This record gives sequence, C-alpha cells and structure tokens, in this order.
Amino acid sequence: MRIIFLKNIGRFVFLILFQVLILNTIQFNGYINPYFYIYFILLLPFETPPWLLLISSFLLGISLDIFTNTFGLNAAACVLIAFIRPFVITSISTGTEFMIGHSPSLKNQGIKWFAYYSIILVLVHHFTLFYLEIFRFTEFFQTLLRVLLSSLFTLLLVFIAEYLSYPEKK
Amino acid sequence: MRYLLFFLRKQYIYFLFLALEGLSLLILFNNNDYQNSALAYISNGVAGSVLNLSSNVSDYFSLLRVNRILAEDNARLHSNRSEAFYKADTESFYHNDTLYKLEYRYISAKVINNSTNKRNNFIMLNKGHHQGIVNHMGVIMGDRIVGQVVSVSEHFCWVMSLLNKDSRISGKFKKNNQLVNIEWEGGNYLLGEVKEIPKHVLIQKGDTIITSGNSDIFPEGLLIGTIDHYTIAQEENFNYATIRFATDFNSLSFVEVLIDMMRKEKENLQNSFKSREQ
Repeated sequence: MRIIFLKNIGRFVFLILFQVLILNTIQFNGYINPYFYIYFILLLPFETPPWLLLISSFLLGISLDIFTNTFGLNAAACVLIAFIRPFVITSISTGTEFMIGHSPSLKNQGIKWFAYYSIILVLVHHFTLFYLEIFRFTEFFQTLLRVLLSSLFTLLLVFIAEYLSYPEKK
Repeated sequence: MRYLLFFLRKQYIYFLFLALEGLSLLILFNNNDYQNSALAYISNGVAGSVLNLSSNVSDYFSLLRVNRILAEDNARLHSNRSEAFYKADTESFYHNDTLYKLEYRYISAKVINNSTNKRNNFIMLNKGHHQGIVNHMGVIMGDRIVGQVVSVSEHFCWVMSLLNKDSRISGKFKKNNQLVNIEWEGGNYLLGEVKEIPKHVLIQKGDTIITSGNSDIFPEGLLIGTIDHYTIAQEENFNYATIRFATDFNSLSFVEVLIDMMRKEKENLQNSFKSREQ
C-alpha cells in the first residue's frame, strides 16, 4: 500500500517537472500545446477513494498553475476530470477486470478500453482548459482546433508512455 | 439536523467537487486584475527558484546568440554615449540639470521562464521588489517592447507579454503619428493585429509602428513592429492590418525593466484631476 502511495507521489513530481521544463517550451505555431501531466490522474488506482481523487487532482492542477502564473485554470480542469473519472470507468467497465491495487493500464484493460477511457478524459480536460483560458466566444473555432490538436498530441504521449512502461515479456 | 448531516455524508463527494471547482474558478477570476496577493507572493518565490535552476542549465545553449546581442547592444550604446551621458546618467551622482531631468531608469533582468505557445503568455524575470520593481512597469529589450509587469515577489516577477489576450498597446504610425491599437489574437507569435486604422490613413507594407507614449507604461518611440499586410474594409469605417513584431518573443534572454521616475507625479496629477471631475 505504501509503495503505491510513494510511487504516485514520485509520478506527481516527475510529471509536473516534465510538463514545466520540457513540454511547456514546445513551440509549434501556437496550436499544439500538450498537457501530458494529467497522466497522473489517468493512472491513479481504481480503488482510490473519490475524495482523495479530487484533492490530489486539485493539488496537481494548482502546482502546475504556480509555474505558469495561471492560478486556478489547470486546477479547475483537473478537478472536473477527477470528478467524472468514476462515472467514465463505471460506464465502460464489464465489472470483472479490476484487481485491488491496480491502475488503469493498456496491458490489463486492453487497448479498446484504455483508448476510450483516456480519450474522454483528455478531451474534457483540454476543452475546459482552453476555453477557460480564452473565455470569450470570438475565437471559438480557432480554440476548437487548438483543443483537438493538443489532445491528439497528449494522447500520443500517453500511449507512448503506456507502451514504454509495460514492455512485453517473452 | 440529523437528516441534513446524513444527506451531507451521503452526497459529500458532490459537495467536495463543487467546493474545489468553485475555489479554482474563484482564484482564476479574482486573480485577473493581478493584485499582489499573498498567494502570488509565496508561489512566485517557489516557482522562481525551480525555474531559475532550469534556466541556469538551458542558458548555456544560447550563449552564442546572447553574446552577439550584447555585443550589438554595446556597440549601439557606445556610438551614442555622449548623448546618453547628458540625458540620463544620474546613476552614480545627482545630476542637477535644469534642462534634462531623468525620467526613466533601466534595470537589466534575465528571463528565466517564457512561453509563446499559449493564448495568454507570461514571462518570469529574476528581479523583484528587492530591486525596486512594482506592478505595471514596462519591460523592453533594447528599443523594442516586450510587455508589462503584472505580479511581483521578493526576487522575481511575472511579466504579461504582448502575446496575451489582455495586452493592448497604444501605438502610432511613425510616418504620420496616427494612433492605433495593437493586439495579439493567438496563433503565430510573430504576427499581431493593428486595430481601427482610420480610413484616410494610407497604409503601406513595411510601415513602422512605434509606441505612442499615451499610456503610462511605455515612453514614446519604442519599436513595436512593421506592417506585414493589410485589408481595406469596404463597409466599415476602419481598416485593419497585420503587424510583424520587432521583438522575437521566442528568443528572449536578457530584457530591461523601465522604472519611471516621475510615476508618482503623474499618478498624483491624474488622481487630483479625477477627484475634481466628480
């Protein structure tokens, strides 16, 4: 139990630093801006109590906000996806595949399950984040394009990370 | 009462969600006027020290370019040194000149965090209260504008760059002093929008836009950019143009913060004027 706890804290710190020091400096015509740090929320174990899910996501968001001078922006988006995460999981689960102490993963749940799960959460997060950031409707389609392109890039990173962390044993 | 508690316990997760989400949105929208909140003060210090560390490493990769820029700056300063001496040198002694009074002082600062890929971009500098920086000071690089200070802590400050939806610069055409507003609408960080150019002004590709000096933030005559292309609107009363920024925001490394020595006087005048109007 303690190992899972420490593992998640380590992942928290690593993802924040990775986001701040590397991903935030990527420049691609102002449209692609991956937010890979929410991988932390995707990977929290299944039996995490909902209150812990919400509070840790809030802390994750506010930590990133401190580094980008956008107080509350990432926190709002993270709390929202932490809130809908249990509903997403129950809506797509078949009820048998979860084991205690396990996190959602490509290997255990299969590509279809994991793709559905991560696409919904990433899209909701990016949608909230970009529209809260701009907070006006005059640039609606431009922002939509940014949401879609950035989500695509974030998902790409999520899948690469999944394949890297579970090498096939043979 | 008991029912209420029971209800709260059963549904606590919804309340927790609403509380956290509400808190986030509250901070987000309350922070928009960029007051020097205690929150910003503490967090700037924390973020500053981490970002400073990373910038210490990444600085080595841009040394060559920085050296070139500094050398160019030096050459430029040397070439008009005598002029600069009479106008501005009161750093080391009090220069009681009745013709020239020092209006702006420059503090050199290093960029330790910068972005150009977001809709609202901010730049962090390694100078703060300790060096005399307060909110709403202008930030420039050489004779080009960069942005304005929006949040200060003991040793660091955040600068809202031109690449921000809340940034609005008052500029003018260098050739005929026609006033215009310059904004950035996202996307490409090299190009901005010039709003509301009066119909009678003849626009040409390559026209230079400089600061007007109408705002309290920048003095007159700093370079903003040049006209890249323009559209003549048929139905409206104004034409629109796209401006190519003189500043390359993606390669900022050293900038200068403008300290307005006559800021108090200007503010006092404005306040007294306002109180008279009421």
